[in-house]
Amino acid sequence: MRKTFTFIAAICALMSGAALLQLKLAVQDQAERVAALADQIHEDEESLRILRAEFAHLTTPRSLQEQSIENLAIMPPRPEQVLGNIDEIPFRRSDSKVDGSQSVLLPAAEESGVNAEQDSTAKSEDQTL
Amino acid sequence: MSLARAQSFDFHGADEDQSPLAVARLRLMIGVLLFMVAFGLMAVRTIELGMTSPVANRTAAREIVVPPVTFARADIVDRNGELLAVNLQSSSLYANPREVTDPIGLAKQLVDVLPGLSQAELEQKLSSKRAFVWIKRKLTPKQKWQVNALGDPALNFRDEEDRLYPHGRLASHALGYVDVDGNGIAGVEHYFNDRLSEVERAGEPLALALDVRVQYALADELEAAMRAHQAIGAAGLVMDVNTGEVIAMVSMPDFDPNNIRGVGESERFNRVTKGVYELGSTFKTFTFANALDDGIATFEDGYDATKPLRISRFTINDDHPKNRYLTLPEIFAFSSNIGTAQMALDIGGDRQQQFLQSLGLLSPADLELTEVGAPMYPATWRKVSTMTISYGHGIAVSPVQLATGISSMVNGGRLNTPTLLKSRSQTSKGKPVVSPATSRQMRQLLRLAVTKGTGGRSDARGYRVGGKTGTAEKAVGGGYDRKALISSFMGVYPMDDPQYAVFALLDEPKGTKETFGFASGGWVAAPVVKNVILRTAPLLGVLPKAEDENLYQRVALMIEEDE
Repeated sequence: MRKTFTFIAAICALMSGAALLQLKLAVQDQAERVAALADQIHEDEESLRILRAEFAHLTTPRSLQEQSIENLAIMPPRPEQVLGNIDEIPFRRSDSKVDGSQSVLLPAAEESGVNAEQDSTAKSEDQTL
Repeated sequence: MSLARAQSFDFHGADEDQSPLAVARLRLMIGVLLFMVAFGLMAVRTIELGMTSPVANRTAAREIVVPPVTFARADIVDRNGELLAVNLQSSSLYANPREVTDPIGLAKQLVDVLPGLSQAELEQKLSSKRAFVWIKRKLTPKQKWQVNALGDPALNFRDEEDRLYPHGRLASHALGYVDVDGNGIAGVEHYFNDRLSEVERAGEPLALALDVRVQYALADELEAAMRAHQAIGAAGLVMDVNTGEVIAMVSMPDFDPNNIRGVGESERFNRVTKGVYELGSTFKTFTFANALDDGIATFEDGYDATKPLRISRFTINDDHPKNRYLTLPEIFAFSSNIGTAQMALDIGGDRQQQFLQSLGLLSPADLELTEVGAPMYPATWRKVSTMTISYGHGIAVSPVQLATGISSMVNGGRLNTPTLLKSRSQTSKGKPVVSPATSRQMRQLLRLAVTKGTGGRSDARGYRVGGKTGTAEKAVGGGYDRKALISSFMGVYPMDDPQYAVFALLDEPKGTKETFGFASGGWVAAPVVKNVILRTAPLLGVLPKAEDENLYQRVALMIEEDE
């Protein structure tokens, strides 16, 4: 009886000792990971600053304007194109059919392929209006 | 357990004859009992801990410390948070020539990556006997990456901190620049040097009132106008009339604050704040406001402008002569010097001086820059000075002073201190200089000067621009040079609820075929203001709309157009 008790107690002590060691190692591991992550965050923050500066440099209005002239056919809005209020948009007449062609928005090359699927979206948009 | 029971039994019976063995057992048993109680307590506590849910705040005992990104100087941002100046860790490339095996090959590789370097010089550096040679200071991140990609062990980097201006030339005069040690030398970098280099506030960017988009639109238009008219310089300003915030400030020619080596004095010169100019007819706005506010003249009054005025040895002429009696709105719209000068005489020199003083036109502008020019005006304010100053000659002020003054004329009569810093309030808290009624009349006059008068080429359709042209001959050696003009336009929009003042000035513009050889403010500067308004009004949230003609009808009827 006494022997079993001692035996069980010894096993318990050994096991809890082993578990404790395990836990300690795991905690140490996690602490190292936390430190590494903190370092990583620091490094990321630093590169974020560099990227922010680079972004500002690349999106400076002058280069945006040059890019726009080169690649887009977009002009500054004329005063009559600027609407301040949704009420200023005239209602579409109910008897006029919606033209599903997206040619006004898409370059000519892509037009034929996308037309079919664009049609349905155009219609659903019309319903929400 | 059986042991304990047996012992307690013994305990009671064996009081008299205690054998040493029994005493030892008893003591041992007490120890065992104590231990068992302790273990029991621990077991109970363990079970209790297992049963209860963990308390959240007890688990966060370990605090995670992220080392902060430190830099020596705070960033500068514009009103929308766009980065204008930033301190970055930059790397400078150096080499240890003793470790270089193939100087010629390495030099060639480096020249490919860093195009600014010379091949011969590099070869010489790399084949020297020293242990340290600089290859290039302050590389861009991309260049650093490319050098690292070369993978040569002889190349190394040293970290340095560098002040960068991502937008280059844009807003260079407002921002200023720093020296190699990072001390501000000009612009807000200089004015706020202490604030920017304060260690505790390095993480807190300095927010300026500038808007880079507006700044660029103004710079772009001024540059184009300067090129078209072969002007030697240009200045421009956009100001929020209700807060005094400087939304854009352009002085041409400008410089790149990233690289100030070899930049001349004329590029560094801030024409908006440091330059003082005789601005011509824009000053009539102040004379009119003064007369209307003091009740010296009303819209119904007029002055005779049939022939030039003679005063001592001067003759005052009109640039757009009508040779007839002119009503007040006509004098303003047609920019009659003769009429304005007579009105100034009615106001009187002392009162005129006092009024201009109250607008801050006789003392340097109170702006957050050290490059602020003092206005020039005659020390003794004679009768002839009163007359010429009434139409902007014989007094030289900086554009920022003019814009501040004009803003107070149209915003309901409150004078705001001009500021380069983003202000939190949207309402004017300045001191009143003219009555709201006078301010309303000035709006009408300024609008009509555009619709019916000399400022027609500034009329951005839909934005209800009001404004006044200004053309002055440059003073050269005691006299005036008829060929060298300072042509400017001061515009405000929208006139029914003024928001922004836009100023453009060209220094010595030449007339072109498009302007029929004219180089006056209405021909060269007004279109700049118009284009700037067209480009920036949508960005600043000013809506174009049809004009309410009733606002101006009564006054418009007083202007008789004979062309």
